[in-house]
Amino acid sequence: MKVVAVTACPTGIAHTYMAAARLEKVAKTLGFEIKVETQGAMGIENKLTEHDISQAEIAIFAVDIAVEERERFNGVKVIQVPLQEALKDPHSIFAKIQR
Amino acid sequence: MTQRSGTSLEFDFVCSLSDGLHARPASQLAEVAIVFASDCFLTNLRTGAVASLKSVLAILAADIRQGDRCEVQVRGSDEQSAHAALLRFVEQVLPACDVPLAGLHPATAAGKLPRTLQKAGVKGYFGSPVSPGIGQGKVIPLSGMVLPKALKTRAAADPQSELAQIKRALAAVRARIQEKLTHPQSPTETAVLQADLAIASDVSLAQKLAEHVLQGRSAGQAVMEAGEFFIDLLRHSESEYIRERALDIEEICLHLLQEIYGVDLQSAAIELCEPSVVVAETLGPQQLLGLERRWLKALVLEHTGATSHVVILARSLGIPTLVGVKNARSVLLAGREVVVDAIRGFVVPQGSPAVRKFYEREQKTLELRREFLPVQTTGPAITTDGKTLEVAANASSYEEVSLAFGKGADGIGLFRTEMAYLQRQRPPSEEEQFAIYAETARTAAGRPVILRTFDLGGDKGAPYLDLPPENNPFLGYRGVRIYTEHHELLQAQLRAILRASAFGQVQVMAPMVSSLDEVLQFKAAISQAKQDLARKAIAFRSDIRIGVMIEVPSSAFILDQLSAEVDFFSLGTNDLNQYFLAADRDNPKTAELSDVLHPGFLRFLERIVADIHAAGKWVGMCGEMAAEIRHLPLLIGLGLDEISLPAAGIPAVKRAVAQLSAAECARTLVSVVACRETAEVEHFLEGAQPPQSAQPLLSKELVLLGSQSKDKEEAMQEIVDAFYIAGRTEDRQRLEEALWSREAVYATGLGYGFAAPHCKSDAVIADSIGVLRLNAAIDWGSVDAKPVNMIILIAMRESQNPSRHMKVFSRLARKLMNDDFRGHLLAVENAHEMATYLAQQLEISLH
Repeated sequence: MKVVAVTACPTGIAHTYMAAARLEKVAKTLGFEIKVETQGAMGIENKLTEHDISQAEIAIFAVDIAVEERERFNGVKVIQVPLQEALKDPHSIFAKIQR
Repeated sequence: MTQRSGTSLEFDFVCSLSDGLHARPASQLAEVAIVFASDCFLTNLRTGAVASLKSVLAILAADIRQGDRCEVQVRGSDEQSAHAALLRFVEQVLPACDVPLAGLHPATAAGKLPRTLQKAGVKGYFGSPVSPGIGQGKVIPLSGMVLPKALKTRAAADPQSELAQIKRALAAVRARIQEKLTHPQSPTETAVLQADLAIASDVSLAQKLAEHVLQGRSAGQAVMEAGEFFIDLLRHSESEYIRERALDIEEICLHLLQEIYGVDLQSAAIELCEPSVVVAETLGPQQLLGLERRWLKALVLEHTGATSHVVILARSLGIPTLVGVKNARSVLLAGREVVVDAIRGFVVPQGSPAVRKFYEREQKTLELRREFLPVQTTGPAITTDGKTLEVAANASSYEEVSLAFGKGADGIGLFRTEMAYLQRQRPPSEEEQFAIYAETARTAAGRPVILRTFDLGGDKGAPYLDLPPENNPFLGYRGVRIYTEHHELLQAQLRAILRASAFGQVQVMAPMVSSLDEVLQFKAAISQAKQDLARKAIAFRSDIRIGVMIEVPSSAFILDQLSAEVDFFSLGTNDLNQYFLAADRDNPKTAELSDVLHPGFLRFLERIVADIHAAGKWVGMCGEMAAEIRHLPLLIGLGLDEISLPAAGIPAVKRAVAQLSAAECARTLVSVVACRETAEVEHFLEGAQPPQSAQPLLSKELVLLGSQSKDKEEAMQEIVDAFYIAGRTEDRQRLEEALWSREAVYATGLGYGFAAPHCKSDAVIADSIGVLRLNAAIDWGSVDAKPVNMIILIAMRESQNPSRHMKVFSRLARKLMNDDFRGHLLAVENAHEMATYLAQQLEISLH
């Protein structure tokens, strides 16, 4: 299954990237194909294209602040969780998707 | 609501004033009541306290707060008219008394204690640190209400003559205040004088004084005891405003004592005999010099002026000093052991284990910092693009001179010679001065020494000068202006200076110059001294360099004329700023206005330096403005040839100069003079601080393994202290708070026993990574609820956001999710290995 994700935290120095790395790792072990966009102090990186988003079955927002360019995800199924969830229990996020 | 009850007329009212029925309305109310023969009483129905309306002190002591219902009773021969007058006052005048006196509450630094102290429930009193350092000792309040021993034992004569003495003193004090009131005053001063007058005329005070005398006390003892009675009463008031009035009573009592004994008790020296923290409203330079240096560990002043002479003196003597500590004399109890932290800006009681532990640690931190930060004792300060800035020291004694050269001073930019003139009955002799100046010249070993001729007058008086009291001493008879009258004194000093010039690069400078004529006269005086010496065949340097201080704005507009007469200039920014902005720097009410970063003032400086350089002359700056590192980009941008500051700051300033580019500083100045307000200037300055290129992201000093910290607060403090030791931050409190405010969003424990606290703050002087590995794991509020034993801290400068190091930080964050990486961090053996491993993994350099 293909998923996309966005991570963003208030300072954008550490947690944005830790969450991204964690989601990528867990997705891999669970057999998901994932692309994670980070919205941190460097701005948007690894940006999700229209194509990425249209191919994905679901988008995960692991964020503590508003997602930038939210309109890209109009019409896409989104699961939004606090960023800490991605560090605390990423498996449960993917479990939700599978349900 | 008026009614007759029994034999009196009554009415009641509710106090609507937000500060309560404070001194000003109380004294007005008493003025209304006192003209009537009837008894006028007020009852505060909340407390039941009854006060005579004819006594300001009694009204204040009734502690009437906003919302309190009060009952007024009038009884006597003229009760009808008294009742009508009081009712009119309460209904029509009183509500308008709510306008607070402008700036009567001095601005105080509201701060926070470090987290470890907060957690231990320590109570702190905050102020602005103006002379850095930490001092511990017993609180000695300098209240002025101390009778010298000789007076204490004076026995009372008969009560009637003591009473007569008190009446005479009261009348004299009243007359003096009334006399002052006839001079033009600001509304604030007038109101304060009127409140003082009301106290000196108070019937309760007079009554209390008489009571004590009739009990057999001497007039002086009666004043002390009555004063203490009322001070105690007011200090227990709920209203801060009224508590502060206790100081007014103290002052009146002090005046009374002076009248009774005919001595100036204020300057009576206090004898210190153990480590002491002196607490006062403010101090004169003489008073400070009169205190035993060995026991004076710190100064705490209620006054707010950061550039007053007492503060400058404290700084040069290295006495840790806090100013603007609200009600310090009321809240800091005499005899209590306290720690004055004039690095962070607070006073805390000594004695609790948390405070003891904190300052034991602090002592080690400061020692380590001194060891780590290399003192550059040789070599000039050169910017990255090759411009040299002389970094000299301000001094006021020979001791300070030798200290300054130990700190790497390139010269003495300002020797305040007048300090040797204070605190004595006769001026220093020519020989005495010559000895000091010659020794200074020898110690300087060829480096320049600028001796400023005595700058007396203003707040620096000396008995032998017989200077008249002035309403506005800073606009009065001081500096070069008194030289004509004190010609012989100047000649003696000039001869001493000239003789010392034979031993080194001595230069002479005149203070407070405002006209060309003053310069010509000063030069004539130097010529005369030269002739005297030449006649006696005493050696001196005939081409001694002559300079003037630029402190009075008028001198800044005749620089072409002055340049034709002198060799150099030095900007005395303290006075220049206060005269330029018309704001008294010693007045807490205007202290905020005296701001060296005012865009107008910066334009003024820019023009002065340009004019002097256009005339081909040399210009330095010796005011307090030059002492702040954050001003450096401006000072370099101005193109000053020299800056002169307290010796302790020199190593840090020299290091900072070496990290700045003169070309960039010049650009900063262009932006800054275009700013519309000070806040904008400050913003620019933040961005123009020494660049981080000189500092690697990580160094082994920032890696602490085997930490014993017992909780999150301690661990955070330990790592912030490491940043301070390594010179990565000058403001630990701000850095710590930035980290904690990030923790407040949610804790940064990321699981696996790791935490990654981080912040964006300009409290760090360079982007940095710190590492702390703990012996025993502590709670960090982690996502997996497990304790933490590995802390990786990321601090990024806010004004350089987004930082060029963001890539490294994100790489680090991602790697923390990697089991191998974490495993390695837990396994490495020492700090060097840790730094090397991290540098390799993050692809950064350690140099």
